[in-house]
Amino acid sequence: MTATTDQRTVLAVRDLKKHFPIKDGALQRVVGQVRAVDGVSFDLQRGETLGLVGESGCGKTTLGRVLAGLEKPTSGGVYFDLSESQRVELDRALRAGQGEDLARLEASHRVDRLDGTNWRRFRRNTQMVFQDSFSSLNPRHLVSDIVGRPLRVYKEASGSALTERVVGLLEQVGLGRQHLYRYPHQFSGGQRQRISIARALALDPELVILDEPTSALDVSVQAQILNLLHELQQSRGFTFLFITHDLSVVRHMADRIAVMYLGRIAESGETTELFNEPIHPYTEALLRANPDLTADDEGFRGLEGTVPDPARPPQGCRFHTRCEYATPDCGWEIDDVVLQLEDTPALFDKLAGVERRSPFDADLEFSDSDAAAGLATALQSEDVPASMRAAIEHVSVGAQKVSIKFREVNEVLLTPRGNDRLAACVLDALPKRY
Amino acid sequence: MTAPATNPPKTTAPVVASVRDLRVHFKSKGGIVHAVDGVDFDVRDGETLGLVGETGCGKSVTARSFLRLVPMPPGIPVSGSIIFRPRQRCSSCDGAGCPTCAGTGRVVSPCPVCAGSGCDTCEQSGAETIDLLTIPERELRSIRGNRIAMIFQDPGKALNPALSIRKQVAEVFYAHRSDELLVSAGIDPGSGSMPTTLLRRRATQQSRTLESVLLSLPPLRSGRTAISEAADDRVATALAETQIPNPRAVMDRYPHELSGGMKQRVMIAMALACDPDLLIADEPTTALDVTVQARIIELIKELQQRHKTAVVYISHDLSLVRKVADRTAVMYAGRIVEVGDSEQIFHEPEHPYTRGLIDAIPGAHHERGRLAAIEGTVPELIDPEPSCRFAGRCDYAASVCWTHDPTLGPVRDREVACFIHHPPEHGEAPSFDRTVR
Repeated sequence: MTATTDQRTVLAVRDLKKHFPIKDGALQRVVGQVRAVDGVSFDLQRGETLGLVGESGCGKTTLGRVLAGLEKPTSGGVYFDLSESQRVELDRALRAGQGEDLARLEASHRVDRLDGTNWRRFRRNTQMVFQDSFSSLNPRHLVSDIVGRPLRVYKEASGSALTERVVGLLEQVGLGRQHLYRYPHQFSGGQRQRISIARALALDPELVILDEPTSALDVSVQAQILNLLHELQQSRGFTFLFITHDLSVVRHMADRIAVMYLGRIAESGETTELFNEPIHPYTEALLRANPDLTADDEGFRGLEGTVPDPARPPQGCRFHTRCEYATPDCGWEIDDVVLQLEDTPALFDKLAGVERRSPFDADLEFSDSDAAAGLATALQSEDVPASMRAAIEHVSVGAQKVSIKFREVNEVLLTPRGNDRLAACVLDALPKRY
Repeated sequence: MTAPATNPPKTTAPVVASVRDLRVHFKSKGGIVHAVDGVDFDVRDGETLGLVGETGCGKSVTARSFLRLVPMPPGIPVSGSIIFRPRQRCSSCDGAGCPTCAGTGRVVSPCPVCAGSGCDTCEQSGAETIDLLTIPERELRSIRGNRIAMIFQDPGKALNPALSIRKQVAEVFYAHRSDELLVSAGIDPGSGSMPTTLLRRRATQQSRTLESVLLSLPPLRSGRTAISEAADDRVATALAETQIPNPRAVMDRYPHELSGGMKQRVMIAMALACDPDLLIADEPTTALDVTVQARIIELIKELQQRHKTAVVYISHDLSLVRKVADRTAVMYAGRIVEVGDSEQIFHEPEHPYTRGLIDAIPGAHHERGRLAAIEGTVPELIDPEPSCRFAGRCDYAASVCWTHDPTLGPVRDREVACFIHHPPEHGEAPSFDRTVR
């Protein structure tokens, strides 16, 4: 999507972070932070559909909730409704640091600092459709209350005018007057999702955040809902943020896609380009694991391992622990050695302690010297990935102690890859495989 | 059923289980719900049969009927039979695969009445035939988890949260392989002496409190430990087979300590522990991420090839079933509407419902907003009149579709239940050339 001068940016997200504290002990002291969203930046232009994909636990839902103003960000900002010149000014002001320009922009546009009037304007223009329509529709309220509530809250209509507005909304989503005085449980999954959509559209918002709107539905009903969403976007010019784990759906619906992994964007770009030529290995892994009706069996493959703990995200590239193209520059660290040890109980049971000087440099203490020697040999052997071996700068074996030092690597940041694409990978392009 | 050219060995393989005219209804306030209403299909040795359909079309009830896991009441077993022909290890090659067993390592176990010569009990086939819907509960218990195993949709709910992985996987062995455990522990299971009896009761998890006390005393303690160790070895082997890293450490964990993919692996390990003839996988990957789902699918396929197990794979995800299944049966509203070779069904669907389902999947070739949605929803199945269940949503429905039940009949290489392919004797037949809407 090319930015023209009159193009408005509905949301500009800048280095957004949302951390949740981990509390422990009798005093509930904070012992760590779950970095659900950890430095995300992107722009959302008016009228486009941005797809946000990733595995469960990658922070996509949290990001959606922060963007909708349901959670306060830990740091970074979400800026609402900027003109092109304001957006350019914002980026300049952010680079310059604190200043008058930034303060002025933040007062009127930064979502967590909006005053009363602006806050109401933001809230009515940002609506959300949730995944589970069982829990997002109040079972004790009638459809007329559910869909009419936003109109009442914003004093748009009352009495019979309100009822007529609700009927109009229901008709837009393929329901009718006969459904006004029913309860959510009297509807099927697809119909309930239509009610959620009608509620979100009631105030004619600028932005609709769709959090897995079709995950709970059958394909035939999913197709109905996707068609409906597209029609509504065409006729009323909504901006959609489409959060999903289903790649077939997102390919169908989104103009641009951002792939998230462990709280960060791994790759973003235009939909067809991203699907045809993934740059980030994680994107490729997702595409290969997606069963597609037209694709052949050759590429179908799963991804080894599990998502690392978001409270202690890996150094360098966050995906390096599961990446099949990992290089020595991807951020191998002491935690990776400990993970390897966990799979070798003979050595792990004898591990007495780890003394870290940095994430890349530590002493591993064992309860006997054989285990220490065993680890040192294991680190040189085929048991560990070749790229990890190559990243070791220094290993020394003491009596019951192994000192390991890895190559220090900076965080792998998103870099432009031409034509509105960004990817966070040390490789320039993936080897052609399928 | 004629054999499609692509997969001749599997479709000519002997039938492991055949479902005939299965009808399971449910009592509800509104009337009798015909959840499964006349389902017929065969599962052949070593094949994967995919069972697809929308929510509420009766796929899970069909699957659970195999092991009589449908609660009765409210369920009503109306009619039908599920004939199961168990198999046993081939004696001439001991499971390695030889000409006698056509390389599968298994042979049909002979009919206990006629010892394989053919009699009325086994319909002259000579094979042991068991009707899973009528045999006594006691006999069914020896089949559940042993000859027929099941993997459930949500591993988080199917595993017992209060038992360690070691204990719950070991239950399978205590229930079905207690004699083997005794032999491994160096105890003669045939002996009738007092200690052996106590240990045998221990190996089948029947010990009472007093017996447990006796077993913890020195003369019997070693035997008890030996049995536990034999079980532990088998648990570790079973877990290792599903590629769980470090199985001995996982054994002491509880389900909540494992990730979703790991829990599903434990479920698969339990299911395959006794080397079953038939594995029923009821949406085994629906609760998992795509990347993990792909790993689990690979695992199931690999283990199936090694164990030569027949698999009934139930899913609502057509693209997935295409990857997994050799043959596919499409269900709609309690009936099978189309069954045949997977590749051909997905390539050239014949039933209007199958066509609709496949067109509804968003693909690269669809223009946005132009997905071919099937309008309407699955009909309520309360006391339905004879008619094609799909008529209300079908683009081609003619008058005959509203008044008569279509039956499965051969179309080219598969079977389809539709008047388009089997025109009725009276009345006007529907056609793909004529749309109603």
